[in-house]
Amino acid sequence: MDSNPQQLRDPANAAIDDLLHQVAAGDRGAFEQLYRTTASRLLGTCLRVLPDRLEAEDVLQEVFVTAWNKASQFDAQRSGGMTWLASIARHRAIDRLRGTPAAAVHAPIEFAETTADPAPAPSAAAEADAERTRLDECLQRLEPKRRTLINSAFFDGSTYEELARRCGSPLGSVKSWIRRGLLQLRTCLES
Amino acid sequence: MNATVNPSDQDPVEPTDDDLRAAEYVLGVLDAAQRREVQQRIDTDATLARRVDEWEQRFAPWLHRVSPVEPSALVWPRITQRLGWRTAAAKPTLRDNAAFWRRTAALATAAALAAIAFGLSRPQPQAPNVAAEEAAARPVTVLVRDNGAAAWIARVDAANGKVLMVPVPSALDGSGRVNELWIIPVGGAPHSLGFLSNDKAHTIAVPAELRNAVAAGAIFAVTLEDQSGIPHAAPSSPIVAKGSIQAI
Repeated sequence: MDSNPQQLRDPANAAIDDLLHQVAAGDRGAFEQLYRTTASRLLGTCLRVLPDRLEAEDVLQEVFVTAWNKASQFDAQRSGGMTWLASIARHRAIDRLRGTPAAAVHAPIEFAETTADPAPAPSAAAEADAERTRLDECLQRLEPKRRTLINSAFFDGSTYEELARRCGSPLGSVKSWIRRGLLQLRTCLES
Repeated sequence: MNATVNPSDQDPVEPTDDDLRAAEYVLGVLDAAQRREVQQRIDTDATLARRVDEWEQRFAPWLHRVSPVEPSALVWPRITQRLGWRTAAAKPTLRDNAAFWRRTAALATAAALAAIAFGLSRPQPQAPNVAAEEAAARPVTVLVRDNGAAAWIARVDAANGKVLMVPVPSALDGSGRVNELWIIPVGGAPHSLGFLSNDKAHTIAVPAELRNAVAAGAIFAVTLEDQSGIPHAAPSSPIVAKGSIQAI
């Protein structure tokens, strides 16, 4: 299966798409409803890369101001509404993180010798949609270092330099592992 | 063991194509300058924008794997203020609107479904999440205006000599003056901590000689001053907001 955004059009996502279309038309009530429906998840998104609560809430404000101003650019054919919003939140949070280098200090990365399974627990996997399963499956096929680094990079928002420091490997190797892993992921997801 | 072909890790892989750059951007490994470059190009380069979109879709399952955290009650009013909407008075009007409540009822089910769809935890839960939040948890000082309205929240990071100031966005008085933040130590005179934004959160570096002054019992105060000459030696106008530091 490919990663067609239409797969994410379950009722909850469709409701968010509809709210975004109403917001694009200037509907303030829809905007407040959008906030009530998505703010807690988007704050969770911000907090994952930006653990400082005040900073994360300030970024959350920017996210909603951006959503109001740019809702007309949202295209449900290209992206689900929640993915569109969460991407804005994640990138704003990473940008804020880059501006405050000491904001998040992450633990060292240790590469497992075995090919430990980083996939979700069975109960979570059972609820997982097809797309999630596919991404995790493709990640599973990567060599362990690549898998660990790509996972850490995404969930912590760390730069190449920070990842190299955290795992104690040369910067060039870390870049190489991640880039090769990304290309493999792309191939796997498109197969 | 997986059967993946494993080319030498020593081979350099340069991001020769834009697709790899888009992937690095979405993964979050680029530094500030590289991110700005990609963001500027997205606005003018439709192909790169599409590639970034495609990578966002590829990583979307992870993007949605978050634990929801309820924002504080201050966030929504600050958003509406930033958008220039009516502030306190606007909310009851919205709430009184029957359409709002109908929509709320209709969406309750959708929200419950969304919680199922997105409430999953990340695949490799990492202890630093909780630890980092605990370490970052610090008391805040609320700076209030004479009418009792909260104007700023200050969060002191004593170890690094910094103060994060988060405003409840407000309009300046039109005189062309700007906010200047002062620290008034117990029994001492005000010392300037410099410019303070009325609508954006920012971090203020406390000069080394004032770090001891920023302590429990001291007062943060804000006055309107001419922009030129900041930091001033002493305030020249009445205090517009203030708050006493209870704890650091």
